Amino acid sequence: MRFSQLNGYRTGPPFISFGLTSLQITLIQIVALAPPVIVTIASSGTTALQIAAVAVVVTLFWELLFAILRRKSLTWHGLTTAMIMIVMVPTVVPLWQLAMAVSLGVVLTELIFGGRGFGFLNAAVTSLAFLVFSFPGSALSGAAIPIAMSSLPGALLLLLFGLISLRVVLAAVTAIAVFSIANPEAFDPIITLSAAAFGLIFLVCDPISSASTNPGRIAYGLFVGLLTAFFDSHTGPAISPVAVVFAALLGSIFAPLIDHVVVLFHAVWRRRRNG
Amino acid sequence: VYSTLRRYLRPRLSAPLVGGELTVVQPKFSALSGVDFPNIRPVFAVKLGDPVRVGQLLFTDRKHPEIAWVAPMAGVIESIEYGSGRILSSIVIRAIEGAENPLTDVPRIEKDDDLRKVLQARGMWPAFLNRPYGRIPLPDATPEAIFVIATETEPYAPDPDVVLRDRRVEFEKGIRALALLTNGIVHVCLPEKYALEASDHPRIRINRLSGPHPAGLAGTHIRRLHPVNSGGSVWSIGYQDLIAIGHLLMTGQYLPDRVISFAGPRTASARLVRTVVGARIRDIASDERKPNASEVPFTAISGSILSGRISDWLGYRHRQVSTINNAPRLQKRRKLKYFHGQNSTFPLVPTTGLERAMPFFLPVVPLMRALSVGDAETAERLGCLDLVEEDMALLSSMCTSGADYGYLLRCVLDDLADAA
Repeated sequence: MRFSQLNGYRTGPPFISFGLTSLQITLIQIVALAPPVIVTIASSGTTALQIAAVAVVVTLFWELLFAILRRKSLTWHGLTTAMIMIVMVPTVVPLWQLAMAVSLGVVLTELIFGGRGFGFLNAAVTSLAFLVFSFPGSALSGAAIPIAMSSLPGALLLLLFGLISLRVVLAAVTAIAVFSIANPEAFDPIITLSAAAFGLIFLVCDPISSASTNPGRIAYGLFVGLLTAFFDSHTGPAISPVAVVFAALLGSIFAPLIDHVVVLFHAVWRRRRNG
Repeated sequence: VYSTLRRYLRPRLSAPLVGGELTVVQPKFSALSGVDFPNIRPVFAVKLGDPVRVGQLLFTDRKHPEIAWVAPMAGVIESIEYGSGRILSSIVIRAIEGAENPLTDVPRIEKDDDLRKVLQARGMWPAFLNRPYGRIPLPDATPEAIFVIATETEPYAPDPDVVLRDRRVEFEKGIRALALLTNGIVHVCLPEKYALEASDHPRIRINRLSGPHPAGLAGTHIRRLHPVNSGGSVWSIGYQDLIAIGHLLMTGQYLPDRVISFAGPRTASARLVRTVVGARIRDIASDERKPNASEVPFTAISGSILSGRISDWLGYRHRQVSTINNAPRLQKRRKLKYFHGQNSTFPLVPTTGLERAMPFFLPVVPLMRALSVGDAETAERLGCLDLVEEDMALLSSMCTSGADYGYLLRCVLDDLADAA
């Protein structure tokens, strides 16, 4: 039990709340994701709508199944995963491959842990990684400049509500910018950053899969930024979305370790300060 | 829409301190509850139906018979209840008319040890709160520092300046006495306006810390001025308890009076109330309802809306009674509702706002995670020994999970105290 109770009533705090509820967070993320999704659908037409339908139906099917099995209410978090898939899955991908990838990603990284927030990975990241891994030759989309521009208002909204950390954003952008300035023949900073923008905002900065301490957030951002630059296959001036996805995946696997190191350093700092 | 947005964007508490005229409420019942004294196994000196006078011995701790709890009110013992494992649940006194305050000798303090004995025998020792572990200090313990907390930043708290103005002499006497209990420094945390005379003492130091909540909490002051080291200990005491100590040393009488605020989102007019330790909340909050307010019933809780608790009795260290909308009833999981979040457990989403709830550098999210799973070792490494329940209240209100991190901290602290 996570609070004191008596005769079916909770007797201790919190009596008031000024944070967001789980459902509100989902809602904000959906609003933030709406512009890039609309841009994608507007530019690719009916094929994008098919992808959207499959992604939404598959994520909600698994959520509903787990909700019934666990006797919990739906969290609707799957919708944000589906929206990210709409933007990042290219229209040439067969729909059954998409369904497989989304199922694996959502079930293995979210639902078996008890839903979003209880696991340590982002379901969209793992779904995309599954797609690229399992079906060789799959590329990802979402690197176009209109999508980058349309994700900026969402980024601002998420920043305002504290759902992405400015530290992660700045650290990752710094790492990518420094790397691309250091290799001017391979990268152009502006094109590189705009290609990585959507992935950075919605995959890398996800509060659940990124580091959760302030120093850790900076380290995590630098780490993911460097990985993104390293993973890129050097084919063009822009960064391929696959690089961002795998950087986010590896970064979120290392995020708990980064936090753990921060905790150890904090303990040393405390001991030194207090004598 | 704008105000809702702002509430989420800048979660800040702006409820003014409660000042103004005092109303006196003599409650019909008063009680000492075990929640305030965890791990105390009482040996009662009174029986059911016994008449008691103010300051009369009620019970002592079985492990440390020196430490006494005394009656806050003249009356008759109405009920005595044990909790599980023979710990104290509550002892209730019913008021009777015409009972007199017993006059006792003015205690004579010659050695430093005398003060300790007086405080223990006359019921003022439980007013101290020891860190680490947030318990009553051992009878022979010597703290590295003592913190007197006269700063209030909780929403709807009573204005300490109003209380201190009438009790200046007792307060000064109490502070000078505290210097006898420690070889370290007595930190007096005061509101901006109040001037202290005892500041000439070499080991009494005055601190003024202003700002939004939690700037006034004991934990914030301690963390900044004298963090709890390994092996060391720091005590804190509230200003009203210190006034009672001063009164005891000057007159020999136990002073049960406490000035509390009765306020909250559901109260029509906030007011200051003088009542006694452990007063029945129903007597304080009699028929108080906002005119034209919706018919949603409200609950009066002991303590602030952040860290208080639902109880029939005013908490031993609480200085306010707050009104909230009716207490959330825990739902039984029977019917599925797909659109309503009715789950009993929600995830902890590490939003960046959580860091701002702690005014000092502390990896907040790792601490919350450690507390959620009862990982005492990690919590200790993160410095949970500096903290008590009230320090976590702001986090509980800001977290998506709906967990009471104060309660979780208490479980971890008890584990650590038992292991130590």
